[in-house]
Amino acid sequence: MAYPDPSPAQRWTRFGVLSVVVLVVNLPIILMVMNSFQTTDQLMQRSSLLPQDLTTANYSYLSERTNFWRYLWNSVVASTGSTITSAAAAALAGYALSRFRGRFVTTYSRTLFIVQMFPIILALIPLFILFRTLGLINSPLSVIILYTVVHLPFATWMARSFFDTIPRELEEAALVDGCSRFGAFIRIVLPLSGPGLAAIAIFSFLFSYNEFFVANVFLRDENAMTLPVGITMFMQQYSTDWGSLMAAATLTVVPTFILFLGIQKYITYGAVSGGVKG
Amino acid sequence: MSAVDLSRSEAGTWRASARAWWRTGDALPFLLLAPSVVLILAVIAYPMLTGFWYGFTDGSLLKYGRFVGLDNYVELITSRDFRHALWFSLVFAVFNVVGCYALGLGLALLLNQDVPGRAFFRVALLLPWIVPSIVSIVSWRWMMADERALFNQVIGLFGGSPVYFLSDQTWAVVMVIAIKIWRSFPFMMLSLLAALQSIDRSLYEAASLDGASRWNQFRFVTMPQLRNISIVLALLMTIWTVNDFDTPWLLTQGGPANATENLVLLAYRYTFGRNDVGLGSATSFVTLIILMILVVILLRRQKER
Repeated sequence: MAYPDPSPAQRWTRFGVLSVVVLVVNLPIILMVMNSFQTTDQLMQRSSLLPQDLTTANYSYLSERTNFWRYLWNSVVASTGSTITSAAAAALAGYALSRFRGRFVTTYSRTLFIVQMFPIILALIPLFILFRTLGLINSPLSVIILYTVVHLPFATWMARSFFDTIPRELEEAALVDGCSRFGAFIRIVLPLSGPGLAAIAIFSFLFSYNEFFVANVFLRDENAMTLPVGITMFMQQYSTDWGSLMAAATLTVVPTFILFLGIQKYITYGAVSGGVKG
Repeated sequence: MSAVDLSRSEAGTWRASARAWWRTGDALPFLLLAPSVVLILAVIAYPMLTGFWYGFTDGSLLKYGRFVGLDNYVELITSRDFRHALWFSLVFAVFNVVGCYALGLGLALLLNQDVPGRAFFRVALLLPWIVPSIVSIVSWRWMMADERALFNQVIGLFGGSPVYFLSDQTWAVVMVIAIKIWRSFPFMMLSLLAALQSIDRSLYEAASLDGASRWNQFRFVTMPQLRNISIVLALLMTIWTVNDFDTPWLLTQGGPANATENLVLLAYRYTFGRNDVGLGSATSFVTLIILMILVVILLRRQKER
């Protein structure tokens, strides 16, 4: 805190300002949740901002008459798959970046920057053609591979900053006891980084679960679509049905919120230390 | 622990030295990085090379094309759509970076003070960043959908006439930028807050002993300390904005009349709309080159520190 000893009045003024900011900034999210409990007819009349006669009609419509659960299942499959691959690859690479020096490691570290900034559209065009010949269009494998790589820089930097906090003396002791270097990583370092790896895994899951662009290109069949792409189908097919659209959006965001609350304290590790400190 | 000491393979047979390489643990960094390297080669390096080649052909998504030299690039440079997309990418990036930096810095400064419920506010202000793009944009679209939507009701309260946000070219640009700022400022806020918290407190104590006002403390202590990280953040955000597909696509699909079409949307339209892989690849490659220039500047900056 830069300025010590503020008066209570000052503190509560700041509290008031921040409360208003939070409310205004999150208005789209708040309105979406409220709107999801209104029928489209009620929404179109727009008699008041606050909802009246709450109804769950949108949710039962969504559940019974649309592909919503199918989309959710596809999202879970794609996100789980890419979480496993990306956490595994990032843990190995993060350990290399944390413990080893040399030209190869430095080059790799630079490459991660390029990956993070790569215009994904350039990768999508040749990969679309390749995946089509391999029969991977509409398969969760296509997005799993893409997500793993796109998320790799963030996950690797995060893994590295966790490994950096584990003292090397522990591995050296294991080496003295006859453990191989890789054995020391598997038996000593990995178990100690459990919470860190969990955070990385959840971030990977969130990223894949939220992703739209790649899924939009590769998952074209309605039965293959993940939630973000599926919701756009709603906008075209049921373009005036705002109620269902809001309900679908609200349900989609529930897992995001739950997972985010679990890891929000780790968020500075990857986002800030990785992207900014390098 | 030298990771790249391969020179010893001069002595002895290749197999013996490979075995020694393995046993000493020198092979470990290569093995640890191997899965990631393979993935990056497949998903980044392979498409980059083939994409570069496609830029010189006239293929479609269904069949490989013939070599046509620089035709695609010539067509791009002479096309109005391309010049407009280049211009919009620039406008989009500049306004978003300035907007989300100002908002992020203001909130970071506020959160860096002693305020009740600070942890809650910090999390609550990150929500626009973590909500899936489709979810937030659905809600934004609702707020500006037609003449009776929320924004227009507010405008009506002040006696204004309804604005057609998504079908007016200027307003569509404004809204795409505004929503992008909304989606980007939490990252700025978070990073700047972390930077603020790492500033040495004794600098402020020294400044206040010298009688510096709070404004002068901000100007002569805080801002110089934030200078480097601000430049890095601005460059990162520029790169991400140039690469953004979700915000303009989900809000306006690049319309009305291509007003909100950036380079990524243009490449997407050429490839998947017009089925012109050559032109689409050429457009993406131009995007890559622009981004590469920014990355080189960014890496230089980080080396200096």
